[in-house]
Amino acid sequence: MKIDIFSGVLSFSLLVIFAGCGKDNYDAPESVLSGRVVYEGQALDLRGSGEKVKLQLYQDGYQRHDPINVYVGQDGAFSAKLFDGKYKLVTADRTGPWVNSRDTMIVNVKGATTIDVPVIPFFTVSNASVSLVNNEMKTTFTINKIVPEAEIDRVILLLNSTVFVDDQINIMRKDFTDNVSPGTVNLSADLTGNTTVSSAPVLYGRVCVWAKGADQGIYSPVVRLK
Amino acid sequence: MKGRYFIIAAMALCLSGSGCRDFLDQEPDKILTNDQVYGDPNLIKSVLANFYERVSRGKTPDDKDYDWGQRPGGDLYDFTRLDEAIRYDFDNINQFDRNRWRTYDYKLIRNINQFLQGVKETKVLQESEKRPLEGEARFIRAWCYFNMCRTLGGMPIVGDEVFVYTPGMDITAIQYPRATEAETYDYIISECHAIADMLPAEKNKNSSRANRWTAKMLEARAALYGASLAKYNNQMASPIQTPGREVGIDASKARDYYQKALDAAQYVITNSPYVLQDKRPENKARNFYEAVCVKDNNSEVIWARDFSYPGQTHGFTKSNLPTTLAQDADGNYLSVLLNLVEEYEPVNTTTPGQGSKFEVGTLSSPKFYESADAPFKARDPRLGGTVMYPGSFFVGAEVVLQAGHLNEQNGQWVKREGDSYTSGNGPFYDPSKRLVNKTGFGIRKFLDETPSAGTIGRGSEMWEPHFRIAEAYLIVAEASLELNGGANTITVNAINAVRARAGVQPLTTVTFDNIVHERRVEFAFEDQRYWDMLRWRLADKAWNGSQSNEKSTRRGLWPYRVVSPGDPNNGKWFFEEKDMSFIYPNPLKFELKNYYSELDNSWLNNNPKMVKNPFQ
Repeated sequence: MKIDIFSGVLSFSLLVIFAGCGKDNYDAPESVLSGRVVYEGQALDLRGSGEKVKLQLYQDGYQRHDPINVYVGQDGAFSAKLFDGKYKLVTADRTGPWVNSRDTMIVNVKGATTIDVPVIPFFTVSNASVSLVNNEMKTTFTINKIVPEAEIDRVILLLNSTVFVDDQINIMRKDFTDNVSPGTVNLSADLTGNTTVSSAPVLYGRVCVWAKGADQGIYSPVVRLK
Repeated sequence: MKGRYFIIAAMALCLSGSGCRDFLDQEPDKILTNDQVYGDPNLIKSVLANFYERVSRGKTPDDKDYDWGQRPGGDLYDFTRLDEAIRYDFDNINQFDRNRWRTYDYKLIRNINQFLQGVKETKVLQESEKRPLEGEARFIRAWCYFNMCRTLGGMPIVGDEVFVYTPGMDITAIQYPRATEAETYDYIISECHAIADMLPAEKNKNSSRANRWTAKMLEARAALYGASLAKYNNQMASPIQTPGREVGIDASKARDYYQKALDAAQYVITNSPYVLQDKRPENKARNFYEAVCVKDNNSEVIWARDFSYPGQTHGFTKSNLPTTLAQDADGNYLSVLLNLVEEYEPVNTTTPGQGSKFEVGTLSSPKFYESADAPFKARDPRLGGTVMYPGSFFVGAEVVLQAGHLNEQNGQWVKREGDSYTSGNGPFYDPSKRLVNKTGFGIRKFLDETPSAGTIGRGSEMWEPHFRIAEAYLIVAEASLELNGGANTITVNAINAVRARAGVQPLTTVTFDNIVHERRVEFAFEDQRYWDMLRWRLADKAWNGSQSNEKSTRRGLWPYRVVSPGDPNNGKWFFEEKDMSFIYPNPLKFELKNYYSELDNSWLNNNPKMVKNPFQ
């Protein structure tokens, strides 16, 4: 009789232990939401480091309303692993080189989902050519004004020894604040005496156009120079 | 057998009977009821003391939600965040932390409101005794709102209400939306205005408690912040604001705020017992140090967080004494940047009211100085009261800062650095070497001269001044400049009062840049610079993260002693500007989003009526 009670308790607790594992654990999210930040179907070149450019995903129906931050890379692409479901996607307030619009996009995530997030940038940079000629960084590019009221705060030429190049992650940065206007621009930076640049085995470069009052600049694609 | 049962039964009866006695019903000695606290004048006072302590705390693991600014008794890392100083360790910080000095303390506000209720109802105090206590509590509440508002913008104003939650009640009734930024400053100003008359006009011991003049100073400071936000935020290319103006003040309010700041500060100057301390006109550097840092017979400081031994001390002196004078196994934590040092103008300059670079020559055409302190003694004497420069003295001992020797070799000057050439204090070129200076300058302000104040065992009693009378003068100067212009006598006289005490030439007209300069040198390390740069909206322009911008890079000035027997310059000193990027590789970078802290997601979950800040 006693043994029966003992084995009964034992088997019940074993049951609880094993059943408990299944009860309160979720599977890891498997679905991937990926996409690009685009203007007229073209992905934008942005700053990719420092978690600066981000989108936020919200999901209704839960007690907490914390956003899921989705960080955008320097080629304008982003991705996030999520549970299937209905999400609301917005760009983070006033971050990014575009007109701040907090219009919500409804995103239905089911398996691998791809979306484009359209924005209206203040400026775009096109036809960019960046080259190194005799200790000089030479650039030619076209600044297109998209928003009529936008003004250029500064144009920045940038070099770095890795593929990540932006206004913070660089080994050479030159700012131009005067006499830069939309249209075709030729700018160059003298690198004489800059030992960090001359000793770098590999060099990548790009240019950046920063609108007045914007939180971020818009860039040209990263080009390998050396 | 039966007898034994009987005994057991009898014992059980005894036990059950004695259980009713009150040996389990002890009065708790750690929890006091409201009636107990507000039935005893001493306990009422200790509740108030607790509030003072709580507004001078740094971040702790339990209380992540508040940090009350740059303080000698706080985290010394706070002093390395700006263009004032760096620490001895390598630091690859590359951006500002917008939440670093964020304050969100509604627990304190609720406790203060409970206190106000308790004091109102108590019978152990006379009405005349209640009024100053109520004033003090309301002052600390206003101070708390002020600290919240300067980091977060407008926040919910809960008034005197003590919220009580009972399960099942409608929670939304006690969730308040954010007030606008202007409403929050207005509330602080009107509170201070109202309580000024309730508070005593006399000074108190070590200025550790709020009095009438403290309230007026907070009124003036809050009005000045509101005024400059109204003016300078709207001059930005894209003003920082929310649709409901929880952030962003209308430009038309600037004038009214400047007037309020001017009135309150002038009232303090005319009526208060505080005067610009000028007891040692023969030694202005010493005089400035004593005005800010010495408590005895101080006529300058209006409100400070006081410290006293035993029990209430801090380690600022221990951590910052030069290595050769160290009293414990620590020292030289902060090195002051040349960026700040060169802001102290030469005494005989032709352009008073602005800093200037040290013209030290180059290695190929060096300029030699007779002594290590020569370039610095010719500067604004406040430099000597703020910064420990090469050849200055601390309690009678010389502070030797020497990066190395300068030798002549084949007609050329050569620098020699390293263990036998460099002073034990530094400055030293090695990002991993601790306990040595890195820039050529140490900190003097808040360094305690009391014997053994630099030990771990005792610690320093140095206070943390929050308000001093010099601020009243500079508030008058700034507000009057904005209202009446730079040639107005009120503007000129106010700034010149501070400059005369400091020992620099008077100005004939005042520009906005003069105000920026004056506040920077007068209040270095006093938790003013960061907030000034924010309210003037200058932070993103000055600290733009560019390596080619001298305001955002960190620089030092290294002293070398000339050792070249036979040469006429033997024994003289040579200085060379030094880029600090070997230890701080990234320039200061302040982005637009840093102007306001983020509202934490946990606060938003608890109160969904609050809207987020811009850039969040």
